[in-house]
Amino acid sequence: MRAVKIVERVLATIPIMIGVAILVFLFMRFTPGDPVDLMMGKDGNVSAQEVATLRAQFNLDEPIYVQLFDYLHKASQGDLGLSFKKNRPVIELVKEALPATVELSLVAVVISLFIAIPIGVYSAVKQNSLIDRASMGISFLGVSMPAFWLGIVLILIFSVKLGISPAQGRIDYGVGLDKVTGFYLLDSILTGNFQAFKSTLSHLLLPAITLGATLAAIVTRVVRSSMLEVLRQDYIVMARAKGMSEFKVVVKHALRNALIPTVTVVGLEIGVLLGGNMIVETVFGWPGLGRIAVEAIFNRDYPLVQGVVMFYAIVFVMANLIVDILYTYINPKISI
Amino acid sequence: MNKKTLKVTAILLVLGMIMLTGCGTKAASVEKPAATTLNGQNVDPNATITVGLSASVLTLDPANHRDRNTETVIRNMFDGLVTRTVDGKIVPEIAESWKLNSPTVWEFKIRKGITFHDGSPLTADDVQFTFERILKEGALGNNLSSPRKGLLGPVTSVVKVDDFTVQFNLSSPWPIMEQMLPHQQIVPKAYVEKVGSEEFAKKPIGAGPFKFVEGKLDERIVMERYDKYYGGSPDLKPVGLAQAKTVIFEVIPETSTRLASLMSGQIQISQKVPADMIDKVKADNNLLIKSAEGTTVTMFQMNLKQKPFDNVKVRQAMNYAVNIQQIVDTALGGNAVRLAGPVLATSFAVNKDLKPYPYDTAKAKQLLSEAGYPNGFALVIDTEADLKTIAEAAAADLQKVGINATVRIWDWGVLKPLLLKGERSMALTTFGNSTQDPSDFLEPTLKAGGGGNYSHYANPEAATLIDQAKISLVESERKDLYVKAQAIIYNEAPWVFGYAMKQTEASSKKIVNWESSMDSRINLHDVGILAK
Repeated sequence: MRAVKIVERVLATIPIMIGVAILVFLFMRFTPGDPVDLMMGKDGNVSAQEVATLRAQFNLDEPIYVQLFDYLHKASQGDLGLSFKKNRPVIELVKEALPATVELSLVAVVISLFIAIPIGVYSAVKQNSLIDRASMGISFLGVSMPAFWLGIVLILIFSVKLGISPAQGRIDYGVGLDKVTGFYLLDSILTGNFQAFKSTLSHLLLPAITLGATLAAIVTRVVRSSMLEVLRQDYIVMARAKGMSEFKVVVKHALRNALIPTVTVVGLEIGVLLGGNMIVETVFGWPGLGRIAVEAIFNRDYPLVQGVVMFYAIVFVMANLIVDILYTYINPKISI
Repeated sequence: MNKKTLKVTAILLVLGMIMLTGCGTKAASVEKPAATTLNGQNVDPNATITVGLSASVLTLDPANHRDRNTETVIRNMFDGLVTRTVDGKIVPEIAESWKLNSPTVWEFKIRKGITFHDGSPLTADDVQFTFERILKEGALGNNLSSPRKGLLGPVTSVVKVDDFTVQFNLSSPWPIMEQMLPHQQIVPKAYVEKVGSEEFAKKPIGAGPFKFVEGKLDERIVMERYDKYYGGSPDLKPVGLAQAKTVIFEVIPETSTRLASLMSGQIQISQKVPADMIDKVKADNNLLIKSAEGTTVTMFQMNLKQKPFDNVKVRQAMNYAVNIQQIVDTALGGNAVRLAGPVLATSFAVNKDLKPYPYDTAKAKQLLSEAGYPNGFALVIDTEADLKTIAEAAAADLQKVGINATVRIWDWGVLKPLLLKGERSMALTTFGNSTQDPSDFLEPTLKAGGGGNYSHYANPEAATLIDQAKISLVESERKDLYVKAQAIIYNEAPWVFGYAMKQTEASSKKIVNWESSMDSRINLHDVGILAK
């Protein structure tokens, strides 16, 4: 039954994707700025004929509805077109940048959860203690700190002053990593290349901390408040009365129930995380989708922007679906 | 126990984080044999030079882009018929010599003994093929045409005369042919035909000092010394193999991160150092600022189609009212060269009789009164984010003569079409002139219909002079024509004439024999790193 529901939900994403494709297509076309004009740069003579050839090549000389149908027709066959500026298939560009973005996001999520959940739980158990107040203060800072500022401060401290972490990039050249999946951490483990693992990790930490800071702050607060609520429930009092160890009471009985709001927040925040990627990837020279998207928007590289946004939309929809599925495992009373 | 476990878990987590953060690594160290000498200094022949680029590389196919950054990278793997010195002089590279057979026919002799990175010899066939790929529509495969065709002006065909001679046929005389040729690099015909353009861009083979090893365009391009290199241009010393073994171009778009990487030693050369960061770099004992006269002109273009700039007196008043010299000296920290008129001070054709409009608020007010604007007017200066400070400085100057000037920051993609339609009044913007020849500068910026003519300036007399100079092959005659055109433009003042920003880059002090180049390219053939 659950499997059928999941398939239904996956199928329901199709009209959403078509809607996204049409909206992005139209918004990009109505954004002022001409891709061919921008491509020609700010120097030298550009002949009208040269511009006309390129416009025809990019199909920009057709009416918008013709361009739209052409785009949808090709997209339905898995062809998202060629990037105007980079002259390469959009799918190829997205595929190339995707592992970097996903790896960074996952590590950011893992780091933030590793920090946030224990602190959130501890703060709830020791409500109003010094640590509780301090962690709430810090998480308030975390929510309000802009990522580009935090990123630059981390670079200044850990790269320039202490010299213990690289300021940018994904891996050092010369560590000889064989690319299997494109996820460098995973690849270095699969190939047993410890040097590549260390190099990847050291490159990942600063951007992942920057990207995960806000999420960690939000999750800390959510875990704390839902734990506080759960810890007041009768069944917790009962568990304690039965003489169960405090650790078991907190982790097994309280935390599990307190995690439902956390899963919701993390699921929604994944979309935000991907948006935040644009800034963090630019600051850390991280070769992911966010950076490509920023460049593509400034260059009015329509096919590339469309491709990247479509991907973001898929991730957002899928993240929500996964959250819904996870609910059913955490609390079997909930159905999809 | 239970409380302890929680505490222990928390402590372990924090410790783990700290340990992981300490996992900083550097690239695998390389063995160092005996050092070689460059400029009297010992350099490491096994060195790796890493350059921080300010933007992504678009492609590794020399025919498939119109982007200076991409050309910087490609230029290290591919050579052209001719090249430029750091100060913009044209010198032979793959071509040994050349001559004009007639005003529209150029003949180039190709150096013998040059090989591509796959070992195949470079001949006239490769040269002819290279240019045909750019000139013919759809020649890049998949119906794609080269966006570099425009850089070949009136060249209609390139034909092989014998194995080491090619002939360029033009539809009209083109005096800047030599200046424009460094923009085209020679590709191997047999290889490109065999693998196709798409594969060629992934695994490029050129005849330059470095061969391609690996790379992702948005991330990093790695090249290694080509051990059978013919030595490069005889005019760029030292002639021979490249000094460094490995060259890496890292894409680091964010300026502060790029400079942080330079300070931490992750890279040794950084592209583009903005004026406000120069002092910070200078303060670092391990770094040097390198600068060259720039070839990009910054100017305030006033829209002649709209009031009040349809009045020449107002335009002249603007030139008296904006203190460009002070902007150059303070806002730009002296890292720019003020221009009296529209043409670069380093151009052969600059009109040296023209003196910059002096800063004279009284004269500006008087001209404004004469033009019927004694109380000034309201004005919005449109510009992009990186020129904001300059626009604000100018706005403050204009306030002093009663013009209520404010600044509006735009995304260039949005602003440009509005400027071309003549819907804005004044734009602070830039236009490049890497050839330093007015022909591909005055025509697009100051002739009717030009792609960079946001002032909508159209003076028939100046246009005729520009047209005549464009096809004359006698340098002195061209200079006279441009000098006259500049005088007209200077008096009509369609722009508040601005400045040419210096080309500013930074390098580690360990880098030997590298100077900033006027055309912003970073050629690493002759550059080394001090041996330890």
